[in-house]
Amino acid sequence: MNKFYHTLKTIFLLGWSIFVVFPFLWALSTSFKDANAITSGATYIPWVDFEPSTQGWTSLFTTGSQGINIVGPFIDSAVVTLIASLVSLILGTLAAYGLSRFEYRLGFVKNSDITFFFISQRIMPPIVLAIPFFLMLKELGALDTIFGLVLVYIALLLPIAVWVMTDFFSGIPKELDEMAMTDGCSPIGAFFRVVLPNSVPGLVVAGMFCLIFGWNDFFFAFTLTFTETQLLPVSIVSLNSSVTPWWSLSAFALISVAPLACVAVIVERYMSRGTMTGAIR
Amino acid sequence: MLQIDHLTTADAKVSLDDVSFLFEAGKIYTILGRTGAGKTELLRALMGLNPLTHGSIKLDEKDITEEPIRARNMSLVYQQFINYPHLSVLDNVAFPLRRQGKDKAQAQALASTMLATVGLGEFLQRRPAQLSGGQQQRVALARAMVKQSRILMLDEPLANLDYKLREQLREEFPRLVADNDESIILYTTTEPREAMELGNTMIVMHNGSIIASGAPAELFANPSTKDTASVISDPPISFIPGFVRNRELYFNEGHQAPSEGLLLPEDGPVTIALRPDAIEPDGAFNAKIGLSEFSGSQTIIHLDFDFGRAIMMVEGIETFAAGDDISVSIQSEHIMLFAPDGRNITLRNNQHG
Amino acid sequence: MLSSKHFFLLPALLTLVAIILFPLIFTVRVSFSSWDVFQSGLDFIGGSNYVRVFEDERFWQSLKRLSLLSIISVSLQYTLGFALALAVWKQVRGGRSLRVLFLIPMMTTPVVMSVIWRTVFHESLGPVNDILSAFGVAPVLWLSSATGAFISVLIVEVWQWTPFMFLLLLAGLVSLPKEPYLAAAIDGAGTWRTFWQVTFPLMAPISIGALIIRLIEASKIMDTVYVLTSGGPGTATETSSYYIYIRGLRDFQIGYSAALSLVYLVIMIISLTIIAKLLLRTLVGKDE
Repeated sequence: MNKFYHTLKTIFLLGWSIFVVFPFLWALSTSFKDANAITSGATYIPWVDFEPSTQGWTSLFTTGSQGINIVGPFIDSAVVTLIASLVSLILGTLAAYGLSRFEYRLGFVKNSDITFFFISQRIMPPIVLAIPFFLMLKELGALDTIFGLVLVYIALLLPIAVWVMTDFFSGIPKELDEMAMTDGCSPIGAFFRVVLPNSVPGLVVAGMFCLIFGWNDFFFAFTLTFTETQLLPVSIVSLNSSVTPWWSLSAFALISVAPLACVAVIVERYMSRGTMTGAIR
Repeated sequence: MLQIDHLTTADAKVSLDDVSFLFEAGKIYTILGRTGAGKTELLRALMGLNPLTHGSIKLDEKDITEEPIRARNMSLVYQQFINYPHLSVLDNVAFPLRRQGKDKAQAQALASTMLATVGLGEFLQRRPAQLSGGQQQRVALARAMVKQSRILMLDEPLANLDYKLREQLREEFPRLVADNDESIILYTTTEPREAMELGNTMIVMHNGSIIASGAPAELFANPSTKDTASVISDPPISFIPGFVRNRELYFNEGHQAPSEGLLLPEDGPVTIALRPDAIEPDGAFNAKIGLSEFSGSQTIIHLDFDFGRAIMMVEGIETFAAGDDISVSIQSEHIMLFAPDGRNITLRNNQHG
Repeated sequence: MLSSKHFFLLPALLTLVAIILFPLIFTVRVSFSSWDVFQSGLDFIGGSNYVRVFEDERFWQSLKRLSLLSIISVSLQYTLGFALALAVWKQVRGGRSLRVLFLIPMMTTPVVMSVIWRTVFHESLGPVNDILSAFGVAPVLWLSSATGAFISVLIVEVWQWTPFMFLLLLAGLVSLPKEPYLAAAIDGAGTWRTFWQVTFPLMAPISIGALIIRLIEASKIMDTVYVLTSGGPGTATETSSYYIYIRGLRDFQIGYSAALSLVYLVIMIISLTIIAKLLLRTLVGKDE
């Protein structure tokens, strides 16, 4: 019986691994092709099926009419994502701590309602806000700017930070805060001196989710930026709709996803430690 | 001194019910009560952790009822070992001193002295998670004491430790708090023995109020109410609803109770309380043996009489088979009588005067 | 009046309200106007946009399509994710690398991957049809047939988001108590039975949480459809988000798309709440 399950398991894991890796390998191989390698049908292994060329890769770093600039969008994406994630993490962590330690009341609205308000923002389909955001940024003169995009992204990422950290803080005993206060801390002091230093796992998880959802957004960047500010996802889509060769597209794509693939390593480490369960409920 | 008046809280679970008391400097008060009696709530209310709906707290004549937690000059040791996980043992104890404004060197010096006093001098650089339960609690105690606050409160500090450790720390405790002329120490516990050993003054709490206070021995010998007697006794005291008729004491219709030396009240119902040492083997009363258990070096036997249940305690470890019949005698000098309203109405002939 | 507790909550709350509230109110207002590419401005036409929504066959079709797509894709993601989590759970040899590998898809940008998938599913030059032909299978119309397109989107979604289920479920498995398993082993329960009687019930809370989160996110699907199929062929893969996008940002019928958006939002909130409650009820039911 065990042997059967074992073989089944191995086949399954192998199959899925191939499925996961396939698009990356294909893109990698394609990034080294040129026109000859593509037009006659699918080819796979360099030197065996086709002659490799570095066109795809070099075109990314050349600016001007011949080139496809990847550096600009990469930097823009990084700046927007990092700033928005940082702000969301800070504000979200503070709010989550408040919601887990204090009682708020505004008429009939209480803590759980406020938490629900934050978290329910994720239900909002981007399309609902796209046009209003467009008009709002237009009024502020922030269309096609990093500032405008950061503003919008904060609204998207804040709920994530609140979601993860609320649950995390519920796992830290209130007695710790109390002990800090009996030892001479104000409530704010207790947070910064005692709770925060013990919150690193939660902050890492929340931060990573913010980075992931921020870096990977397409729709808002698409509707709210044009030429001055270009994020990676928008760049590649416009490349895709104009006549861009497969090899450049593939190289571009691989560089775009590389940073977050590295994040996967960090996520795995925290997952194995069982610190993620809190973030789910 | 600490004066509390009419403290009332409104918690969903256990609330304080109009508690007033005067605590004097230099004394150790043990607060005894069952779970849910309000001991923890009292300490937390004093500390400012639980809000008061009514009442005032005055420390040395100064009203501190509205003061924030950090300004109250009190320390608290929790039942669950609460230490700062991210700091070393040394920094844990130095933490309150740093908040007081002392610089790092000074704070750490004082902290390491205190840690030596509680026997943890070798563990300064460890993290609390690396220590055993008893050691963690000592860290918490050291941190509470190093502040030298006017009021040191310990909320069942030994409850989460194993038996041997509890005994050991219980013995050390008086030494640890020996040079204490200024502070007021409040120590809560559910164990009567612990309460009586450790404090000069014992306070008994029940249902959110203080029902008795005074010297432990005195309270033990003459508990003023049935509730007090019940809380103080370990092993538990047995209550039998009986009555007085024609100046004789009865357990129930068929069984008369021994009453030599007792001045009986008027005819009417009384609650007869039997301390475990009231019952001795060999005598006129027949009972069936229920459960028997060992406690320390004594054996505790639960007995089923016709008129109710009672607990007997004998020295030494002896086996008693459940279901067996046994005949026992009941000594009237260990019987107490309580009126229907709970008052202790035991009067003995040799108490004239 | 302002105490430290306000310091914690207010910055985030005010920021969110400021950024979201005005756009939302504006959308409501616009939905009662006929703002479009010919006339911009806020007039008032009452509820006629909403009437149009209810008569809009294409919109309701898109909802049906979206529901089908979401439910099938999330179910697949859950089943596969759970199977993967179970398979990797106790794996020591190479387990770490497998877990990292399996996480990667969900970290990638959906649009970017869709660009790659477009080349993969290319009917004459892409590898999928090429490999299939090696097995004697005729080229499948991945992107130019209605069913093919639907399935391509499904495949991409499953590739992208199964890791999410995998992540949550594995985290849950890792923190399960050991005692029930010892009991089951003593009782002589086999692998299959142990799973159904012990693992699955214990994982119920996390399963429900994961399903709800994924359903919420899946209902917003846009990026993949935009790049991979552009809603096509025809309207074969046109989800509600995509249709509203067409009406709003391509046809510039701002007033109408606002009404569409709000109707869509309300439907989403109601159905997701109902689904969440239903799932929770199955959990509570199991406890009894």
